[in-house]
Amino acid sequence: MTARPDGASGPRSAAAITRVAPAGWRPACLRAHADGARFAGLFGAPRGGRAVELRAVFSTPAGERVIACETPERAVESVVDVLPAAAWDEREAHDLHGVRFVGHEPLRPLLDHDAALERWTVPVAGRDAHQVAVGPVHAGVIESGHFRFHVVGELILSLDLRLFYKRRGLEAAATGRPAEDAIAYAQRACAACAVTSSVACAQACEAALGLAPDDELRRARTVLLELERVYNHLHDISAICAGVGFAPGAAAYAALKERVQRLNLRLAGHRFLFGSVRLGGSDLAPAAADVADARAQLRTTGDEHAALWRQLHFSRSLQERLDAVGVLGRDDAERLGAVGPAARAAGLRRDVRSESTRLCYGGFAPVTPAVPAGDVASRMTQRAIELEQSLAVLDELLADPPAPGRTRAIGPTAAVAVGRVESPRGATTCLVELDGRRLRALHLRTGSYANWPSLVHAVPGSLLADFPLINKSFELCYACVDR
Amino acid sequence: MFVLLSHLQRLRRAIAAPGPGRRGSLALRHVDAGSCNGCEHELTAVMSPFYDLQQYGLSIVASPRHADVLLVTGAITTRMAPALRAAHEAMPEPRLVAALGDCALGCNVLGLREQLAGPLEGIVAVDLRIPGCPPSPAVIADALTAALLARGEDRTVSGEPPAPAGGRR
Repeated sequence: MTARPDGASGPRSAAAITRVAPAGWRPACLRAHADGARFAGLFGAPRGGRAVELRAVFSTPAGERVIACETPERAVESVVDVLPAAAWDEREAHDLHGVRFVGHEPLRPLLDHDAALERWTVPVAGRDAHQVAVGPVHAGVIESGHFRFHVVGELILSLDLRLFYKRRGLEAAATGRPAEDAIAYAQRACAACAVTSSVACAQACEAALGLAPDDELRRARTVLLELERVYNHLHDISAICAGVGFAPGAAAYAALKERVQRLNLRLAGHRFLFGSVRLGGSDLAPAAADVADARAQLRTTGDEHAALWRQLHFSRSLQERLDAVGVLGRDDAERLGAVGPAARAAGLRRDVRSESTRLCYGGFAPVTPAVPAGDVASRMTQRAIELEQSLAVLDELLADPPAPGRTRAIGPTAAVAVGRVESPRGATTCLVELDGRRLRALHLRTGSYANWPSLVHAVPGSLLADFPLINKSFELCYACVDR
Repeated sequence: MFVLLSHLQRLRRAIAAPGPGRRGSLALRHVDAGSCNGCEHELTAVMSPFYDLQQYGLSIVASPRHADVLLVTGAITTRMAPALRAAHEAMPEPRLVAALGDCALGCNVLGLREQLAGPLEGIVAVDLRIPGCPPSPAVIADALTAALLARGEDRTVSGEPPAPAGGRR
C-alpha cells in the first residue's frame, strides 16, 4: 500500500462541544463563523417536556465544533442574516419541533405540506407574471418533488421548491435503536449517496465510542467512496447530455456507468455498494484476481472517458447549450453554503477529502476548472476532472487487494459526535447522539440538502426549458433531503 | 459526433444486444412514491444501451394518460399517496400496476409508521411484482418483457379487443 492516511497524528477525537444558554446561541454561532469555521448543519432534537436541544455544527481544518443549546421555550435568535446557509435548517427545525427563530422573517414552511401556497412561496407580481406548477410526479424517471416557477412567458423570474414528498421519518425511526443499526437508516436515505452517508454515520458512531479505524479500514472505505463517486459522476455527465437531447453522449456515459456498477457488484457484492459499510470494521476482501481485473477495467474506463470527453468538445450544438446557463457565482456559492462539485465549479477550492483524517486521502488537493464560471459547462467539466482524480486514487489504493479492517479503542467516549464525508454532491454531515450504545438522535445533512438553495438561486433569468438542464448539472437527490 | 456514433455502434456489437423480434408494445409510467432513488437509477439503466428496452416496444411515457403500465417505486409515503392515486386514476383501462422493488412490496421498509401508507397492495391492486433492493436492470427487463408477452397471449386466448393504443409508439 503506497497511499498514506492524512495527518501523522491520526484521527481526531469526537467533536468539541460548546454548551450555551438560549441567549448565547446567536453570539456563539456568530463567533464560530467570525473565527473562520464553516457552517455545516443545524439540528433540533426533542427533549423532556417542551424543550428542544439545538445543535449547530461548524467545520474547521482542525475538526468539527458543535454548539449545543437546550431551549425550554423553543425560541432562539436566528442566525440566518449572517449565515444564509442555515435557512433551510432553521425552517426544518421550526416545522419539526416548533422552534421559533426570532428575526427569521418570514419563516416559511419547508416540510409542512398543509401550509397555504402564500405562506411557502415568495410573492411575485407584475404584468404577465404567472406561475407554472410542476410535480410532484414528473415526466421522466425522476424523484418526486414540486416546483413552482414564477414566469413571464418562458423567462423564469423565481422558483419556489416544495420537497419532502418522500419523507419516511428515517431519523426519528432510528432513535432508540442500537448504534449498530444506525448505518442501515443512514444508508436507506439515498441510494446514490449510500456509501457516503454510511461512512459519515459510521465515523460519527465510532468517534462517539472512542474508536479509530486502522489503515485497512480507512483504505476499504476510501475505495468504496471513490467507486460511488465514479459511477455517480459518469451518471451526471450522461444526464447533462440527456438534458440537452444529446443522445450519443448520454448513451456512451450511461454505458460507462453500467460497467462500473457491474464492477461494484463484483468487488463488493452490490451494484450500489449497499451493505458494504459496517460499524467498527470492514469485511471487504475481494479476491486478488478480481481486484487486478477491476484495476485494469478502471484504467480502461479512464481512457474511454478521456476519449469521449474530447469528442464532446467537437459537438458545438452541445457546448453552446452549456455555456453561461444556470450561473452560480463564487460569492453566492460562498454565502449560500454551496458544497461539492457545484461549489468547486464556482471557484471554491474546498473538498472534505483534503481533511478526512479517518480516510485514506494522503495529500489530496481539490481541483477546479481552469475558468470556474459556475455555469452548467463548469459543473460538467468539474465532474470530468474529478473523475480523473478519483480513478487515480482508486488505481493507487487497489494496487494491493483490500483486506479486512477493524477499529481500535483510542480514547474517551462522547455522547455527541460528528462524521463529515465528501459525497459525489458535496460535504455530508452526520451527527449522532448516543445513550450508552443506543441512538438518542441521528441527523443527516447531505450535500444535496446544502445545495438545493444554490440551485434555486441559479435558476432565475433562465428559460423554463433550461431548468431540467440546470437541475441535472447540480444533480441533487431528493431522497436524502426528504429522509 | 461521427466518432461518438461509431463508438456506440461498436458498443452495441460488443455487448451483442439482440435486435427487435417481438411485436406489440407497453407504454410505461413511473411514479416514485418514496424510494431511495435506487429503483430509479436501475429503471433508467434499463433504457441504456446495455438493455435498450425500447427495441422490444417498451418505452417510458410522460403522462399516465399515455400509459399501459404504472411502475411504482418506494415505500408509499403518506405525502405521495394522493399523487399516486391520481396518477392511477388518470390511466386508461385496461392497465397494469407493477410494484418495482422491495419497498413498494412492503419488504424491509424503514421509517415511521405514521409517515408510510404502503405497501402498494393496500392502495391499488398489483399485477406485477418485481422484487429486489433495488431490482437489477436485468431483472426489471425480464419482468417487463414477460409482461408484454403474457399480455399478448391473454389477448389471443380471451379474444379481448386490443388495449387502447395510448402509447406514443
